[in-house]
Amino acid sequence: MSSLAAAIRNVAGACALAGLAALSSPISAQEQTQQPATTIINPTAQGVTEQQLLQQEPRITGRIIIPDKRAAVLIQPAGREWRAFHEIALRWIAAIAILGMLAVLVAFYLTRGMVRLESGRSGRTIVRFNGFERFVHWMTATCFILLGLSGLNITFGKKLLMPLIGHDAFSTWSVWAKYAHNYLSFPFTIGVVLIFLMWLGGNIPDRTDIEWLKRGGGIVGHKHPPADRFNAGQKAIYWIVVLGGAAVAISGYVLIFPFYGTDIGNMHAAHMVHSIVAVLFFAVMLAHIYIGTIGMEGAFEAMGKGTVDVNWAKEHHKLWLEKEAKADKLPEQDLRSTPAE
Amino acid sequence: MARMKFLCDAERCIDCNACVTACKNEHEVPWGINRRRVVTINDGQPGERSVTMACMHCTDAPCMAVCPVNCIYTTDDGVVLHSKDQCIGCGYCFYACPFGAPQYPRLGNFGSRGKMDKCTFCAGGPEVTGSKEEYEKYGANRLAEGKLPLCAEMCATKSLLAGDGEVIEEIFRDRVKQRGYSSGAWGWKTAYGEEV
Amino acid sequence: MLIKRSDRPARQTHFAAFAEGLGLARLDRRSFLRRSGLAAAGLATIGALPLANMRKAKAGPPPAPGAAVEIRKSVCTHCAVGCTVTAEVSNGVWIGQEPSFDSPINRGSHCAKGASVRELVHNDRRLKYPLKLVNGEWQRASWDEAISAICDKFMQIRGTSGADSVYWLGSAKFTNEGAYLFRKLGAFWGTNNTDHQARICHSTTVTGVANTWGYGAMTNSINDMRNAKTLLYVGSNAAEAHPVAMQHMLEGKELNNANMIVVDPRMTRTAAHATDYVRLRPGTDIAFLYGLMWHIVKNGWEDKEFIQSRVYGYDDVLKEIEKWPPDEVERVTGVPGAQVEHIAKLFATEKPATLIWCMGQTQHTVGTANVRTSCILLLLTGNVGKPGTGANILRGHDNVQGATDVGLDIVTLPFYYGLKDTAWKHWSRVWEVDYDWFVSRFDSKEIMEAPGIPLTRWFDAVLLPKDQVHQKDNVRAMFVQGHASNSITRIPESLKALAKLDLLVVVDPHPTTWASLSVKSGRKDGTWLLPACTQFEAKGSRVASNRSLQWGEQIVKPSFEAKDDLEIMYLIAQKLGFADKMFKNIKVENNLPEAEDILREMNRGSWSTGYCGQSPERLKLHMANQKDFDLVTLRATNGPAKGDYYGLPWPCWGKPELKHPGTALLYNTGLHVMDGGGTFRARFGVERDGVNLLASGSYSLGSEIQDGYPEFTYGVLKKLGWDHDLAPDELATIQKIGGDKADAVSWSTDLSGGIQRVAMKHGCVPYGNARARMNAFGVPDPVPVHREPVYTPRVDLVEKYPTRQDEVQFRLPNIGFSVQKSAVDRQVAKQFPLILTSGRLVEFEGGGEETRSNPWLAELQQNMFIEINPADASERGIVNGAWVWVAGAENSSKAKVRALVTERVGKGVAWMPFHFGGWFGGEDLRANYPDGADPIVLGESANTMTTYGYDPATGMQEPKATLCQITAA
Repeated sequence: MSSLAAAIRNVAGACALAGLAALSSPISAQEQTQQPATTIINPTAQGVTEQQLLQQEPRITGRIIIPDKRAAVLIQPAGREWRAFHEIALRWIAAIAILGMLAVLVAFYLTRGMVRLESGRSGRTIVRFNGFERFVHWMTATCFILLGLSGLNITFGKKLLMPLIGHDAFSTWSVWAKYAHNYLSFPFTIGVVLIFLMWLGGNIPDRTDIEWLKRGGGIVGHKHPPADRFNAGQKAIYWIVVLGGAAVAISGYVLIFPFYGTDIGNMHAAHMVHSIVAVLFFAVMLAHIYIGTIGMEGAFEAMGKGTVDVNWAKEHHKLWLEKEAKADKLPEQDLRSTPAE
Repeated sequence: MARMKFLCDAERCIDCNACVTACKNEHEVPWGINRRRVVTINDGQPGERSVTMACMHCTDAPCMAVCPVNCIYTTDDGVVLHSKDQCIGCGYCFYACPFGAPQYPRLGNFGSRGKMDKCTFCAGGPEVTGSKEEYEKYGANRLAEGKLPLCAEMCATKSLLAGDGEVIEEIFRDRVKQRGYSSGAWGWKTAYGEEV
Repeated sequence: MLIKRSDRPARQTHFAAFAEGLGLARLDRRSFLRRSGLAAAGLATIGALPLANMRKAKAGPPPAPGAAVEIRKSVCTHCAVGCTVTAEVSNGVWIGQEPSFDSPINRGSHCAKGASVRELVHNDRRLKYPLKLVNGEWQRASWDEAISAICDKFMQIRGTSGADSVYWLGSAKFTNEGAYLFRKLGAFWGTNNTDHQARICHSTTVTGVANTWGYGAMTNSINDMRNAKTLLYVGSNAAEAHPVAMQHMLEGKELNNANMIVVDPRMTRTAAHATDYVRLRPGTDIAFLYGLMWHIVKNGWEDKEFIQSRVYGYDDVLKEIEKWPPDEVERVTGVPGAQVEHIAKLFATEKPATLIWCMGQTQHTVGTANVRTSCILLLLTGNVGKPGTGANILRGHDNVQGATDVGLDIVTLPFYYGLKDTAWKHWSRVWEVDYDWFVSRFDSKEIMEAPGIPLTRWFDAVLLPKDQVHQKDNVRAMFVQGHASNSITRIPESLKALAKLDLLVVVDPHPTTWASLSVKSGRKDGTWLLPACTQFEAKGSRVASNRSLQWGEQIVKPSFEAKDDLEIMYLIAQKLGFADKMFKNIKVENNLPEAEDILREMNRGSWSTGYCGQSPERLKLHMANQKDFDLVTLRATNGPAKGDYYGLPWPCWGKPELKHPGTALLYNTGLHVMDGGGTFRARFGVERDGVNLLASGSYSLGSEIQDGYPEFTYGVLKKLGWDHDLAPDELATIQKIGGDKADAVSWSTDLSGGIQRVAMKHGCVPYGNARARMNAFGVPDPVPVHREPVYTPRVDLVEKYPTRQDEVQFRLPNIGFSVQKSAVDRQVAKQFPLILTSGRLVEFEGGGEETRSNPWLAELQQNMFIEINPADASERGIVNGAWVWVAGAENSSKAKVRALVTERVGKGVAWMPFHFGGWFGGEDLRANYPDGADPIVLGESANTMTTYGYDPATGMQEPKATLCQITAA
């Protein structure tokens, strides 16, 4: 059923194409059929040529009787352009983004070192992320890393990994990597959706973000700008995760369900979006990982244990801490004993 | 060294699908996998042309370049083959292929692709020539028996030519010279980077 | 004249490389491969074909090391081009198919069907054992039980209603031997109700062409079209119906820079390669052809010398031609005057020109008139009897020409002898059975000499009141061996008849739509399905479109419980009690009559058509030495068959020992009769109303009589003094046949072959040398006239061009005139404004059950559809691929199909392929098939929508021009 419909859509495509041909050539098929009264119809002389069609459309599409509508595309030279993207442009983009980011992080670490808790640890903690939030984060993060590595494997594996482990082993690993990539996309997508819903409240940009940004987030200098639950940097990560995640998920599903309502052109586009967003996403996440781990003292435990030292909260998320205090969510005396800055 | 090529003379192709069923029959290609197909351009209008298309066994094959696992290779005859053992079914070769040649059996789950299948120029695959394994994975190896692809050998109007590129090019050029018209060797430039 | 004999070396150089590349010839192919630099090991294997390392699938793994692989050749069963099928067989299993490069007909090529024939044999959807309908359920039965029950019922019907109440519907799929035996079975049973697909295919061609110049067949050959400078296709879509023929046509077109003109209501795949495409309204071929002739006569482009010496009735036709000036032609056909003039000039002046036709001309109520008009055009321009000219009539089934020749027909005994007592007596002598015994088998001597009921009307013969069926009783039993039911028009009517039949027997490799529709009709019992083997499991000769006989070997033994057609006929004859008489001169082993013996018997009786020289030995020699035959002339240039034309195209005169080479081109006066030369046949007397019917000053090369002459009889020989050339045994045979009227013994009844031999010895053609008839007196509309289809959208033309008056034809009333009048009065054309025409898809054949069961073909066409013009579609809100209802003009018929919106059809015309079945009126009948025997693809039959209309001369149906309406579903 759908097969014929597909075939017929192709016919429509062909007709549209033919329509274009009719517009462009003076002795056209259309005119012929409409005014047979004055014309000798010579199908041999009127034959379409490949060049003529490729000048009009990027692809040559016709009618085909088998149900596979992809098959109706006769020639798509754009495949060669996609190849150039995949084999050259994408590698450069990915290499620059990822290696560049690593280089920046290394340089930063060497110059700035770990951002310390200036006031030391108070010894008292406050709940920053509850169990569910941490579960969602780590599920998404695990998926992301595996998706990222398996994705990079497709782009770089044959250059980097294959020479090391051999052709057959590499193929076997790549099959598993492909399955992992396909299946992990689902928990990853769910994670992104949950992150979006869960933390949307704290991530709406506001005035404090401007101040925070002006002061370089306190990482560059030593003066921590006040921030609510999420500072502007974290908000940026949030939106990168939500929007980038949406982009890779949507484009990924286009690729995972090939040719469901899409054509080869859409597939090329989806792949380009997917791969560029993914490598940039990956690069950004390197920075996120850096700050969440060796980049900042006391940050990891927020997502690790779920609680942070009150002093850490004071330094990095003062406004949030105050709100939590008002809501009686932390030991009162602790807060009172330490005057506000 | 001979360089194997396909050439479809659209002035001869009548959309009879002999190439399609010859291929299916010779290699027992399952439903839904179409190693070869016939596409009709401008159907129903004067100027209509039908073209049979399969893997063109390109020079500098794009599929080979983009394959993430390098499972595609070119034989000494210029035939582009692949190893199904190494193929991971990622579909990249289909995106890169200008001719829609790679085919994938649909696996059970969400459009996931099985191992790629495509025209082998009737030259089998990496398995031992003429072995049962080779037939089951890739189909008959006619080239090794000194035969040409069955689609071309059985073409109703000798529209589809297969064989040494120089020879079929010459045949085609002679034809065009003789009859004085041609709609071109479709895909030839895209595949081999040269005009006939 | 443009015969390229002298050009051939040049052509060879141009195309030598082509030939090599395509493996045309063995050595060339080998050298090509060498030039291709292929592995030397591969090369070494070519000659020996040791396919030990070749892997063939379903039929099993590659043959075990050391197992022999045998090459067997047969002929493709899917159309009459006659492609050789080369099979590789190992341990009785058909493991592979290779190109048949040696065949001069297909040169290795196939179409989609031919390239997948192996699958027909392996098909698991075939009938595996006999089945009977019990209480509406299919139940397995044994062959013994089936044959007994069927024959008992036959005898019972015969007792109460007479022999003519059993209808024997045979097949163009039979080998010649099978078709001949089936006709013989009808004769021994005592009925002329024996018919086959030619009725709905080319019966009008056979009648029309034979009545023009003598024989009802393609005059030239597909290979000979390579010589044509102008090819005019009127009603042929060769690209889809005869794809391999297109190889010769397109190569010829390219080599000669030929004009290829396609006249068709549809812009077909053939038209795509034309140099001129003409779209005309379905059913107006006669008007168009006269339109061409109007310009030819006006401009003096006719071949005056040819007409003067070889044509009768030109003046009568001239009067009709004058009625078709350009404006009237355009008014009727829709073809603009300038285009008609352009085509007329090309056809008349760029010679040699050939006219090619197929179902587009034949399947009409004016089918016979259509083909006769085509013949008239050829005669007018002198385009008959020379290379590159002629009526190149493309036949449909692989052996439809042969089945027609061997008389599987309602109007004649084998080989066009007719049904008169002289014919019966001739065959009584050949069969060595007493003539009076045959008379006793029939209900009466009158009915014995009266044409039977055409298969197109079998259901009318069941349903009409008894007094309107001009035989003893209605038809009560149908014995159908190898014929579809959905290829016959007016399916809703046939459904009623299926319900009423006492007995329905279907013998076929597949259940066919007879099975699904009989369950639909409400039949609960009295229905049998008997599994016949495919033709690849049987041996025998088949006649290609060009009259060449090709011997097909048995590739593998019949699968399952399927039986050879010949065996089934033998079992029936045996049970009916006349096997000993019927197989008197035919060896029967294990109930299987030997095909070679049957052919020998045909050789002994087929003098009229020149099937007398094609012994099985000669045919087998040709198949074994195909490589020796020339691509263009079809003549062997060396080898053991040197001098013969490929397949000994009939007429191949005299006994096999005479070594007549066959006749590649009919009526070719440029050759000696012993080289295949000929003249127009003297079949209709020597003069009429004082006008000479014999040729004047025209004769075949080397003829001792250098003028027209009548057909040869012993009396004529005596007058010429040539009777002394007869050998004593020949004379004795003549005298034995003739008795006291030995002078009347003719070239066609002389079983010794002596008269033919002596006539040819003197360079004369045995059948005489006459004029071809433009005026075919004795046939309805002796000078063809345009008549509107019964259901026409142009009601304004009906008054001037009405269909013929009602009349009783072939035992039944043909009330076309009343139906047409009623349709006009009821304004049917307003309710059903679209013209509905039908045609063929390349993937399927005929009723299609066999091809729709073949997975490789079924995958390519998975849905029944109707083609509709974009303008008509948008008016109706129909989009491409949508379901639509098609409503027919009769019986409130309707069909649910997919819309294919395309400019292939013009505005106001819709087209359906006729191969689908298994749906009726929107209902899927898959459950009506026996388990596991349903075709993969089912769909509505085009003939559910087709309507009344029968050719007066043949009973041909009208599936090509009726009316319908299409609405979105």
